[in-house]
Amino acid sequence: MQLGGDFVDLLRQTGYRFPGENITSAHSEHDLPFVPTEGTTILAFQYADGVLVAGDRRATAGNMVLYDRADKLIDLDAYSVMAISGSPAIAFEIARILEHAFQYHRRRQLQEMSLQAKLRRLSLLIKDNLPMAIQGIGAVIPIFTTFDLQDNRGKIYFYDALGAQFESTDFTTTGSGSPAIRGAMYYLNRWSGRRFSDMDRDTAVGHALQLLDTASEYDSATGRYERSSDIFPTVKTITASGLADIETEELRQLHVQYVDGEDSP
Amino acid sequence: MMLSDEPYRWAEAVSNRRDYIEDQIRSGSPVVGVGYEDGVLLLTLGQGQQKLFEVYDRIGLAAIGHSTDIEKLRQAAIDMAHSIGFNYSEDDVALRQIVYFGLGPAMKAGFDDVVRSPFLARILMAELDGQDGEQIFYTVDYDGAFYRHEGWAVAGGFHEADQLMGRELSDLDTTSLSVVEAIGGALRAWAIGRWAGKLEEIPTDMEELEQMVSKVDIESALKDELRDLEVEAVVLGRSLSGKNKYRNLNADEIAPALTPFQAD
Repeated sequence: MQLGGDFVDLLRQTGYRFPGENITSAHSEHDLPFVPTEGTTILAFQYADGVLVAGDRRATAGNMVLYDRADKLIDLDAYSVMAISGSPAIAFEIARILEHAFQYHRRRQLQEMSLQAKLRRLSLLIKDNLPMAIQGIGAVIPIFTTFDLQDNRGKIYFYDALGAQFESTDFTTTGSGSPAIRGAMYYLNRWSGRRFSDMDRDTAVGHALQLLDTASEYDSATGRYERSSDIFPTVKTITASGLADIETEELRQLHVQYVDGEDSP
Repeated sequence: MMLSDEPYRWAEAVSNRRDYIEDQIRSGSPVVGVGYEDGVLLLTLGQGQQKLFEVYDRIGLAAIGHSTDIEKLRQAAIDMAHSIGFNYSEDDVALRQIVYFGLGPAMKAGFDDVVRSPFLARILMAELDGQDGEQIFYTVDYDGAFYRHEGWAVAGGFHEADQLMGRELSDLDTTSLSVVEAIGGALRAWAIGRWAGKLEEIPTDMEELEQMVSKVDIESALKDELRDLEVEAVVLGRSLSGKNKYRNLNADEIAPALTPFQAD
């Protein structure tokens, strides 16, 4: 009996190979013929209605700014977002595989893939990417955020470069700017008198903008609001009613209130 | 000796095969596709077993026939759609491709291979807003012959049943129907197909069949059927947010269309 239903198996039957599977020669980071592109700061935390996930827009290659409109939050289905830091090429490939894998599974097996299986699929792809990560050209450290309808709460998972998966109860951040704000996030959540999980939506978005601005202050590879081209960070929420993008106009108002304003709360 | 060495025996074998397949399919539950203001609707009646399926973002599948054969074809269609969608893009997945290069040839090969069991199924597929049109349906017969339809399409137990069912739908303006009106039309077409499938002897003369069908009381026939069967309906609706336009209609959405056919 054919088991079927696995999208990566289907791809392999048609000759597809995940990027890491094609690597045959060893490089070190120092003799690469190019400087790999990398994404920068992403963060996620639990707020009152579910999960908020946010990312800056800058992609860099070494000390060059490659792109200032990168979207690092990728919708995988109606309740799941993968935020990416590390190599965009591999991250987008992983996201594309997962997006198709989740849909393929539902359509072929006639039921939604369970949350545990979704996490496992992502973990396996990160493991498959190990050869790229080891050579310093394609490590991906994602944050997976979702709303678990069975438990009726948002969930946040982060990974290491080998694919180990950890659930975060309050907040997490990864990427080059994350060391600059990890402590700030802990402080805010623990000592500011207002936990992330008690914040309403607008307050949560405002704090996400403040945190990304903070990251960009100390990390040159993290972008902040680009006045010249009017580019804001990307922010999404995931609640019991699904995914929602925070639109530009709303980001503008909250940015004025929380980041530009002198009396920021 | 090969059957093809003897033309007469070959023709006889094909004819026997057709009779066998049609006998197997005839009494199944027909499937109906009809456009409405927001997209397309697929509908059938059954005993709780799923007969309408999501294939891709804008493509759905329904079928009459043997459930395992339908399942093989359904999986092949889904595999093909997702391979194309991943390797090219979502916009490159087209029902026309799935039918022309996938289901059509597969069913034809199954029919031609006289030492193996053929696909005991007639397939009806729907596509919303593709490159081929806004409300497009394809039907694929058990022998691999396929047909394109705009606005509505049906797959009943045999060709003449399709023609009779189509008469309930051909006058509808499928761009302006509400979903309830579309369900109503689809139910009437289904009832005619069901009636035809239950005939013990099918007249070879179409005129005779037409005379018989003109005496059918569709409302009371449906009332009887609804005692034992449930309506299954899905839509591909363009107003659904996101890329995926396929959605099951729930009992509350179907109920208003059933009122005229409800048992007293």
